[in-house]
Amino acid sequence: MAERESRTGGSIDVGGRYDPIEVLGILAAALFWGWLGLRWLNDWFGGLFVREGQAFLPPSTFEFLPALAFAVEFAPELAAGVWLTVLLTIVGIALGFPIAIVLAGARVYGRTTRWVALGYIELVRGTPLLAQLFVLYYGLGLSSFIRELPGVGTVSVIPEQAVWVAMIGFTINSAAYQAEYLRGAIESVDPGQLRAARAIGLSQIDGIRYVVLPQALRYAIPGWTNELIYLIKYSSLAAFITVPELFNRASSIASENFRYLALFSLAGLFYLALVLTATNLTSRLEDRVAIPGLARRDERLRERSQ
Amino acid sequence: MSDPLLSVRDLRKSFGEEEVLRGIDFEMERRDVQVLMGPSGSGKSTLLRCVNRLSEPDDGTITLDGEDTAAMDENDLRRQVGMVFQGFNLFAHLTARKNVSLGLRRVRGFSKSETEERAEEELERVGLADQADSYPAELSGGQQQRVGIARALAMDPKLLLFDEPTSALDPELIGEVLSVMGELADDGMTMLVVTHEMGFAREAATDLLFLDDGTILERGPPTQLFESPEHERTATFLRRLTDLEAGQHG
Repeated sequence: MAERESRTGGSIDVGGRYDPIEVLGILAAALFWGWLGLRWLNDWFGGLFVREGQAFLPPSTFEFLPALAFAVEFAPELAAGVWLTVLLTIVGIALGFPIAIVLAGARVYGRTTRWVALGYIELVRGTPLLAQLFVLYYGLGLSSFIRELPGVGTVSVIPEQAVWVAMIGFTINSAAYQAEYLRGAIESVDPGQLRAARAIGLSQIDGIRYVVLPQALRYAIPGWTNELIYLIKYSSLAAFITVPELFNRASSIASENFRYLALFSLAGLFYLALVLTATNLTSRLEDRVAIPGLARRDERLRERSQ
Repeated sequence: MSDPLLSVRDLRKSFGEEEVLRGIDFEMERRDVQVLMGPSGSGKSTLLRCVNRLSEPDDGTITLDGEDTAAMDENDLRRQVGMVFQGFNLFAHLTARKNVSLGLRRVRGFSKSETEERAEEELERVGLADQADSYPAELSGGQQQRVGIARALAMDPKLLLFDEPTSALDPELIGEVLSVMGELADDGMTMLVVTHEMGFAREAATDLLFLDDGTILERGPPTQLFESPEHERTATFLRRLTDLEAGQHG
């Protein structure tokens, strides 16, 4: 019991003492996300604290360390791009998720629908994401349709049309990948449990809903984490349909001052911070929803290798 | 009381080319405990699954309480015919209590408090009230199977099917499950049991059916079949079981 509590509470508490690395990580995360949050607030409300895109402290403060001064100068503009990177990732994952559940369900349990789902998944997984974005943006005239919708491009908090197209593209794409991770997870739930659910009189759909899915979603977390990490990085492809996200901003600043290495290194640090945050959160989630008595997948593997 | 609770007539079932059940006939009165024995592949599990339509029969009629099961809604039929599995098949993400509660809530539509009360009762009945909040992986095999029985009992079945309920258990855990089954039999539950536990058959069974190659080769009270079987195949099979049991327990 004590063991379970310490696991669900995160792993800060190691035998009553604090793990210094964990504490350091949390401080760094708080600093990073606190700063990002303030940047976003500042820019959304047209310069709440400082002028849009300007550093909170003048870069000249850090003259003694040129690399730091450089980072301080350009980080604010990249931070505005991080917002779009985060937005695209979260929207793609979140909207793709319910679609993925339906697709995975059809793949495993469907008859005709199985082939429809398979066709969709293979089409999306078999073609480049960039090509998909191009088709949506240039080929289908989606952007001119969205531009006509009320508010788009005129109200500042509503993103411009390219962002909408990217969100649609990532949703379509992520749904297919998430569906495959979910399918594997559904298939790893012992089919005897669904049989037992049917044997007490639950319908197939209720058996899936109350017995199979709650377990499959847990088992899907490691694979789903991969999808999240990929999407954070693949969201940079939105740059090619003019979305000013992190990669796009880094490359356009660099095209003016030619400091490609420095800017892409800085952008890389931002991506790294996003990915570390994501993996940390999903790992905590996995701990929190772990079924008592059943070892987590990585724990089982560790035991086997010993 | 004139009608039998369960009547099976000329039941047939094939998987591909192979005919697994080749014309099964038998009846069960209320409070009957019938034990099915027979070599593996003789069709025992398939027979059970045809009764609650986890497998659809190819031919023949099965009536439950005078009603043709083929015409019933399958979920409604299964609510009335409980099943206990060889591999327990507990819902791994739910506590013992929730395993029993799920059907009460989602099939029988009990309120939260009714469900709570009834789940408690059923776990009490199988001697696991103190383990109500344990998850399946935290329970022994014998305890898991008792939760499986409680889960089936919660649906108030007219008939309980047992598909080799103890054959996945370590020998020292078989007893606790058999004693729960014995109590159910004493309470008047109608039970159709696939098992090779001779002791249970001898003490609890009203009838023993010997299945061989998709047909019922021989039937009768357990003492009769154990002591003076008509067919050589029955005799050989039971002798082998006796030897096995002597080796295990002796």
